[in-house]
Amino acid sequence: MSTAVLAILVVAASLTGCSTGNRVDLGEGAAGSLVVAIAGEPDQLDPHKTTAYFSFEVLENVFDTLVEPDADLQMRPALAKSWEVSPDQLAWTFHLRPGVKFHDGTPLTADDVVFSYRRIIDEKLANADKFSAVTAVEAPDPATVVIRVSRPTPNMLTNIGGFKGMAIVSRRNVESGQIATHPIGTGPFRFAGQKSGDSISLVANPDYWDGAPGVPGVTYRFISEPSTALSALQAGEIDWTDSIPPQRVRQLADDDSVTLAVTPSNDYWYLALNEAHAPYNDVRVRQAIAYAVDRDAIVAATSYGTAKVNELAIPQGNPWYTPYDRYRQGGVDKARELLSEAGVTPGDLDLLVTTEYPETVTAAQIVADNLAPLGFTVKIRTVDFATWLDEQNSGHFDMLMLGWLGNIDPDDFYYAQHHTDGSSNAQKFSDPEVDRLLDAGRVEIDHAARVADYARAATLTADKVSYIYLYNSSVIQAWNPALTGYEARRDGAVRFRHASLNGSEGAS
Amino acid sequence: MSAPTVLTHPIARFVARRVLYSLIVLVGVTVVVFALVHLVPGDPVRIALGTRYSPEAYETLRSASGLDRPIVTQFFGYVGSALTGDLGVSFRNGDPVTVTLMERLPATLSLGLAGIVIALAIALPAGTYSALREGRLSDAIVRVTSQFGVSVPDFWMGILLIALFSTTLGWLPTSGYRPLFSDPGGWLRHIILPALTVGVVAAAIMTRYVRAAVLEVAAMSYVRTARSKGLPPRVVTFRHTVRNALVPILTITGIQLATLLGGVIVVEVVFAWPGLGRLVYNSVAARDYPVIQGAVLLIAVLFLAINLLVDVLYAVVDPRIRLA
Repeated sequence: MSTAVLAILVVAASLTGCSTGNRVDLGEGAAGSLVVAIAGEPDQLDPHKTTAYFSFEVLENVFDTLVEPDADLQMRPALAKSWEVSPDQLAWTFHLRPGVKFHDGTPLTADDVVFSYRRIIDEKLANADKFSAVTAVEAPDPATVVIRVSRPTPNMLTNIGGFKGMAIVSRRNVESGQIATHPIGTGPFRFAGQKSGDSISLVANPDYWDGAPGVPGVTYRFISEPSTALSALQAGEIDWTDSIPPQRVRQLADDDSVTLAVTPSNDYWYLALNEAHAPYNDVRVRQAIAYAVDRDAIVAATSYGTAKVNELAIPQGNPWYTPYDRYRQGGVDKARELLSEAGVTPGDLDLLVTTEYPETVTAAQIVADNLAPLGFTVKIRTVDFATWLDEQNSGHFDMLMLGWLGNIDPDDFYYAQHHTDGSSNAQKFSDPEVDRLLDAGRVEIDHAARVADYARAATLTADKVSYIYLYNSSVIQAWNPALTGYEARRDGAVRFRHASLNGSEGAS
Repeated sequence: MSAPTVLTHPIARFVARRVLYSLIVLVGVTVVVFALVHLVPGDPVRIALGTRYSPEAYETLRSASGLDRPIVTQFFGYVGSALTGDLGVSFRNGDPVTVTLMERLPATLSLGLAGIVIALAIALPAGTYSALREGRLSDAIVRVTSQFGVSVPDFWMGILLIALFSTTLGWLPTSGYRPLFSDPGGWLRHIILPALTVGVVAAAIMTRYVRAAVLEVAAMSYVRTARSKGLPPRVVTFRHTVRNALVPILTITGIQLATLLGGVIVVEVVFAWPGLGRLVYNSVAARDYPVIQGAVLLIAVLFLAINLLVDVLYAVVDPRIRLA
């Protein structure tokens, strides 16, 4: 038995010699390229149509938006070098950066911006709600874009630049039907090729408006098994990954051969109770459950302590943060009190979670344990994400757990989720005061007043338990210490435009 | 069974007939898969749109994907174009399914064939040796080892192999795939660990079959006769025993190979191997019906082809078997 194995190993050893860190040369990528591993394959590469994070990890480096968030998530110029708002707040004028070209050499003009936005609006694509106030998008001259809105829109800049789902695309690329597989953008890298199930390679765009990238290209490998990705990083086969087992984070922090980033993010995880089902229509029952849930235990089990408990959505350190810790102090006694006040006899509770997000499966067991003393028999139902979405949509659940990722403006955090007419209000929460505040926040120009509106709205969604907010997760990434000019961002955007290897700076 | 004919070669007749049967099986597979993917809960449009979208966006994408048509219309449309070799386009990225499948097939064939070669290289000698030493210590060692091999989860074995040969020794890459024809050296370096993982697990199963088959033949009276005639043990072992045990060994080899080609998802995930297994897994998660249907059809074709090959080989190793 062992002789055959041994023979193969001998062949293997002679083949490989002592070459460690066998780096990928895909032929399409240039030598010296950055090799990174992401945890899955992008479903498609059309920035307006994909909703997958894996796609945006690639597209962040291929496309641009008119404005973009900086490291502190403040919006700054990108394809637009400046802009102004009319005194009545109903017209936004953007002045395009001169000399920008698409990867196919055609110059970027205002028509491309109009085309991109009209495509999202007219084809009713997933991000069309970002333009719900927009009445017209015009190009008075090739260097100017005017967006007209029906109401003041204080979050216009995050709407059009918060993420690359609002990218400016090339009309020719769209009309040829190639954008989903061969995207053409204006970004720091151009798409070079994809190998199904294996990798995508990008090549540097030397004419990039923010300076030529410091590496000749980026190859994204798809390594969904985190222990393999980490081994590949430690063996020097890849330079960067975010496919990291959370239980290895503590150990990695002490490993000098790897740079580890654990960055607090805007992402948050929550439980929601279906208010169309009794007894969860009673706010006291929902509050009882909110008191009983042990958020610290959930954070410890799902993230190995890398996440941070938060009883609202927006994390500490964010300008929109509101302190709130009502439920942490009550515990089971307070929960029992509320249940008896409501006169409810708890029974079975159908908790819907999905294998797509393993943290929901882990947390469900803790929630079941937390609610047992109150008399709830939690029936955990674990399904795949497609089924989960169906069940959520048709209201077949008592409670569910999921997270919201990559939000920037408070309108993103709260409107769709908690407004009576919100498109993601699967829990059927409805409160006139919350609706009023969310509508007001959408059009409030005075920043301090807007902050106050959202602080009040957020507090109400927790007081009245539209969501049981649990925690903010962290962006966890690790890279080769020779990789410089890269930083982990709290919105999870992965930007390699200023990255370089071994400290060798590019032309920027 | 049937009367011999002088018109055509029996193997050609046999193959023609089996191909015809295979086509009937394929039609059945198509119907079942088509029905199943549409019956399983989960909506491809909803998963494509994620958690935040408007009802208009939903309806637009649904009609663009052709999912608003009656299911029978969708089925006949699918079969009609499948007959011309057009398996449709992916819901997710609009790529032709045939192109995606052909991109994945070499990786799957590589891993399946390399795995079965490793499995045979281990199982044939180990199983035969163990059978010939039945009841002795060496037999017990092989049996215990193969039991161990059957019990080891393949992902764990894969992770161990990576830890040893990639991270610690630095001899082999952790993961990934290179095409055989454009980069033979890279292909070999990348395939060793995944092929070893699937091969060792398959070998553990096959060793037990080989041992049983050899034992059964060794108990036959003609083996005893051969031995009592005074033939040398080597001749008895190889000409009389092992050769006659090859039919059941072929059967299990065929089944194992078909299993490997049908997708070793866990091993593909651990080694980031771009095979059909992961494609099917990801497509099911996205409810990408055209890709699921196309991949299952391709896997069914591979199964049928291997079965046919095994049947033909039966006649080659044992001329008493008539193809009918």
